[in-house]
Amino acid sequence: MLKLLLSDIKMTFRNRQYAFWAIMFPLLFTFMFGFFFGDKATTGGNVILINRSDTPIAKNLEQVLKDNSMFKINTDVTDENAAKDQIQKNKAAAALIIPPDFGAMKSDAPKQVKVIDDPGNATTNTILFGFLNQYFTNLTFQSAGIKGPIYSVDEEKTNPKELNYFDFVLAGILGLALMNSSIISIAVGMSKYREDKILKRITTTPMKTWWFITGEILSRLVMNFLQVTIILLIGRYLFHAHIYGNIFVIYALALLGAVLFQLLGFVIASFVKTTDAAQGAATAITIPMMFLGGVFFPIDTLPKWLFSIVQYLPIAPLLRMIRSTVLEGASPFVNPVNLAIIFGWIVVCLAIATWRFRLSEE
Amino acid sequence: MEKVIEVKDLVKKYGNFTAVDGISFDVNQGEIFGLLGENGAGKTTTLEMIEGLRKLSSGQITVLGQDVSKGPKNETKEKIGVQLQSSAYYQFLTLKEIIDLFGSFYQKSLPADQLLKIVDLLDKTNSMVGNLSGGQKQRFSIVASLVNDPEIVFLDEPTTGLDPLARRNLWDLITEIKKKGKTIILTTHYMEEAEVLCDRIAIMDKGKILKMGETHKLIEGTKNPYKISFITEKLSQDQYGNLAKLGQIENLAGKSNHFEMHLKTQVNLNKAVDIIQKQNPESLTVGRASLEDLFIELTGRAIKE
Repeated sequence: MLKLLLSDIKMTFRNRQYAFWAIMFPLLFTFMFGFFFGDKATTGGNVILINRSDTPIAKNLEQVLKDNSMFKINTDVTDENAAKDQIQKNKAAAALIIPPDFGAMKSDAPKQVKVIDDPGNATTNTILFGFLNQYFTNLTFQSAGIKGPIYSVDEEKTNPKELNYFDFVLAGILGLALMNSSIISIAVGMSKYREDKILKRITTTPMKTWWFITGEILSRLVMNFLQVTIILLIGRYLFHAHIYGNIFVIYALALLGAVLFQLLGFVIASFVKTTDAAQGAATAITIPMMFLGGVFFPIDTLPKWLFSIVQYLPIAPLLRMIRSTVLEGASPFVNPVNLAIIFGWIVVCLAIATWRFRLSEE
Repeated sequence: MEKVIEVKDLVKKYGNFTAVDGISFDVNQGEIFGLLGENGAGKTTTLEMIEGLRKLSSGQITVLGQDVSKGPKNETKEKIGVQLQSSAYYQFLTLKEIIDLFGSFYQKSLPADQLLKIVDLLDKTNSMVGNLSGGQKQRFSIVASLVNDPEIVFLDEPTTGLDPLARRNLWDLITEIKKKGKTIILTTHYMEEAEVLCDRIAIMDKGKILKMGETHKLIEGTKNPYKISFITEKLSQDQYGNLAKLGQIENLAGKSNHFEMHLKTQVNLNKAVDIIQKQNPESLTVGRASLEDLFIELTGRAIKE
């Protein structure tokens, strides 16, 4: 039995296709999202600042902009036309020009700053205008001698911890990696074994079928463990993701999910006849789950009727649990419905696989 | 002689289709028993029912004294070695690793080196199956079925798709296995292979056994056990007529100077040879009928590849 497990692990790591889905594919996503949304990334993009005024107000505005994490402020460009050129070449998202004498205490001093923007870059425009309006409103109040605005928003976050989109998507990538590698590798692997008659050959030996299947599952769990470790390490230390939950709970949830996805792989393998069909069926199942299961965006923004269906997809409750653990440090037992859905799927898949999956034909 | 496999009234049905239609045969200890027939004759289905890979519709199978009609017990599986038709092995393990792994499934097993040496694959010990040639793969597949030092070896079409030289190599290998005292049951659709290798054969067609017995006796028992093949430029109408009276004569494959005769008796054979020799033939071969002749006689057709 030990020999079978060791051989299975050896094969798992020698299989380049599987290694790609298991390690490279999720890494690709981690880096992609890490660079876009990770700690070092700025949501507002690059903004060119040309400050021609040296009044305290202008200096203060420049400092506030530079201190702000929403934009990356570039003061290297000093010429308006050069700024326009940079925006057209997509090297900068917008340019802010503070005219000479802006904020000076004299009546003919300019009262307006100029923004050159790219209409295609709506996010930057919204954030920049919002930021400037807020700043100038406060400035106006101060100039008028009023202490702060009368009406304001009292923001209460459901989660008081510091979080960003990358933290949200990292948990998604974790689930995606487990799902893709497990479903595809079991479905394709088992079909290939059947095509090569390895399953049949094993039936002629005294080796018990369920030992064989246990070996296949365990060896992949070793790979899953590695996947989770790599994704978390890179997310945490390269892109400074925030991980608040208990690391053991995260691993336990991930491996539970991996078992479910492997069983799904067995279900596919028990229905398809060829390796190609297995590949197709596995892709047909994983791609919709990737988008509808909440990997990249919260699924409660979907139309209500669609949400009421997709919230039960196998990956959805898994991601909900992993997220509440990673982001809030909550226990998965806080919302036992998620666990119930997962175990429900496990029971269903196990039943179908036991009923349909055969090592050899009749 | 001790019977190691006994098959009685074996039937396998798939819906309305009867793949194996009530066949019975025994395999004796130490012999090579061949199931001969075309693709679809039911050979593999029969073999796989004995191996425990397919369920029986009805009938009884006994292997080494154990009833395996409802699937073999581990005790039986320990003593049989199976090579499956056109099977492959694990892609990502070396030959040695595969043999060690399969060996670990059994209580007793032979070391990988010893097995690979038999099939001359010692230098490929650390190669993957994908790097072997067709003949090497097949040799490996056969030797992998010997990993538990079995008493009975099942070989399903062991030489299909191989070139003639690789096929002969495999015949030597199978003969070696027989010499170790093992019983071999194999399927084939190559007449020559069955003739060379098998002590006894059962000719199968459409799920039934048409004829069974010792290979040489079956051939001798054909209606025309003698065969003459000769090449001569001139053969007059008269002489052709005389020959035709002694047995069946035909032009071979459209060559006007190449003839083949099938004869019933030794007397006729002698007479025909006399007539032909007077023609000073370029070539004259006298032989006995082959298994192929018997097969054509039984089924009315030759096996197409």
